[in-house]
Amino acid sequence: MTRQMNEKELITIEHIEPIIPEDTDYNFYFGPAHSGSGNFGVKLKIEGERVKSARADPGYLHRGFEKLMEYRVPVQNAVLSDRVCVLEALNWNLVHAEAVDELTGVGVPQRARYIRVLMAELSRLQSHLIWYGAMCLGLGFDTGFKMAFGYRDYILDLFELITGGRVYPAGYICPGGVRRDLPDGSEDKIKRVLDQTEEMMQKMKDFDNIVFSGRTKGVGILRTEDAIRLGATGPVLRACGVETDVRKDDPYEIYGELDFDIPVREEGDAYARCLIREREMEESIKIIKQILGRIPQGNIREPVKITPPSRVKIPEGEVYVRNELARGEGCAYMRSVGGREPYRVKLRGPDFLHMIPVLEHLLKGSEIADIPAIYWSLNICPADMDR
Amino acid sequence: MAEILRKEDKLVEDISAKFKIAGKVQRERRVWLTIDEDNLIALCDFVKELGFEHLSAISVTDWPEEGTFELTYHLWSYSEKILLTVKTKLNRANAIVDSVVPIWKENAQIHERELHELFGVKFEGNEDLTPLFLEDWDGPPPFRKDFDWREYVRQECYDQTNERERAYYD
Repeated sequence: MTRQMNEKELITIEHIEPIIPEDTDYNFYFGPAHSGSGNFGVKLKIEGERVKSARADPGYLHRGFEKLMEYRVPVQNAVLSDRVCVLEALNWNLVHAEAVDELTGVGVPQRARYIRVLMAELSRLQSHLIWYGAMCLGLGFDTGFKMAFGYRDYILDLFELITGGRVYPAGYICPGGVRRDLPDGSEDKIKRVLDQTEEMMQKMKDFDNIVFSGRTKGVGILRTEDAIRLGATGPVLRACGVETDVRKDDPYEIYGELDFDIPVREEGDAYARCLIREREMEESIKIIKQILGRIPQGNIREPVKITPPSRVKIPEGEVYVRNELARGEGCAYMRSVGGREPYRVKLRGPDFLHMIPVLEHLLKGSEIADIPAIYWSLNICPADMDR
Repeated sequence: MAEILRKEDKLVEDISAKFKIAGKVQRERRVWLTIDEDNLIALCDFVKELGFEHLSAISVTDWPEEGTFELTYHLWSYSEKILLTVKTKLNRANAIVDSVVPIWKENAQIHERELHELFGVKFEGNEDLTPLFLEDWDGPPPFRKDFDWREYVRQECYDQTNERERAYYD
């Protein structure tokens, strides 16, 4: 029951001076213990509701993979490469395997190339579903988050069937090919999962008006020249009107033979980045459907007979491999002096640039309430930034 | 084959006309150049004008026996669709090189900041080389070849007098 205030009390309240703070500047930490930030933090200087400046605070997931790989042979490094980015392990498997293949000059069997691309595209699909879930979580739309992660599990079931691991494939895409062949009946299962993914994509379209457009349109606008200067790649760059995709511009594996489009948008805001990813999922499904009817018979690895890893040496040389990951450009520089282990490995993840210069640039001048929308529209992954 | 690699060969020719370089076309869309340290910035300026506006990565390779650090700049041209790698060598004992921040701006800044922390290469002209990943680290730059992290972990994380951790010392 509310108590009625008497006249005397009302008069007193009226006479209280409102407190106007002289200084509204304060420091604000987004992460690393925030549920929606990942293992990463941003230190923000705030004035009222506006971000004056932002400084990325990486390092919570630094494992030193580049150094670890110098001590290990390629078979072991294939397993390590899973961990570079948790959310797209198979794509990083492929980056590592391609670098070793180019150094050894092994002709990867055609069947293995098809399986590699098939797995990379499935991995892109599940990675985009994680992004959708995390984006929904950031925008406060819990249903979308749970649905995306639910549908992603169907793809993880496929990974378990084919690679043996749900999240980490344990070096499934290994130097020379792939670790094992597709099990019987997997093509039908993949088709079923594609149907389920399409179901989820229809839901994403339906949710669009309720959640996405209102919170993301006109937020975090990145101009084309800024994007190139800051080193943005992948969907972030394509949302600023640059038509570029490593799969088309610098084709690897069998991407040159496949028919797919590069979605591009001109707006450069968070909404454009979201729409690009939704369109990319359609393209991935298109690629997988093309592959499914065309996988040739044959070996899955070269050499077929496995030599003990202690006897395999990497020929002297250096290569730079570029791949299109779900998040952008993923590269590996590998140098060998003819030993069993690579002499130097440099991994270049897309989020190293997206999470430090691009994020700092976009957050500066934004509203506090827009931080999650900007943050997740970049589809960040602290694992491949810190490495 | 010669027909396909025309634009790659032309790029090497164009650069050789201006700079003293050792260049090779590795394969389609991959060109590798070596230049001495003094002409690095002039070359970087020149190739940026040619359209190599995306700095994909910078890397350092440590050669302790030779006493050098090898820097590799991996550049991509969105128009030419070529990946150009520029390599140069530095004296390891006095690892100072001019920064490419004036050319590739924030992108170069963050790569140089990482390499300064992990290899101890100083980039002259880069104003912010504060550590990125390692907290309270005062040891040698950890990605150098002469830093033995296995030994370091043994010293720091395990106890030789503890019977259960003896396995790490045998």
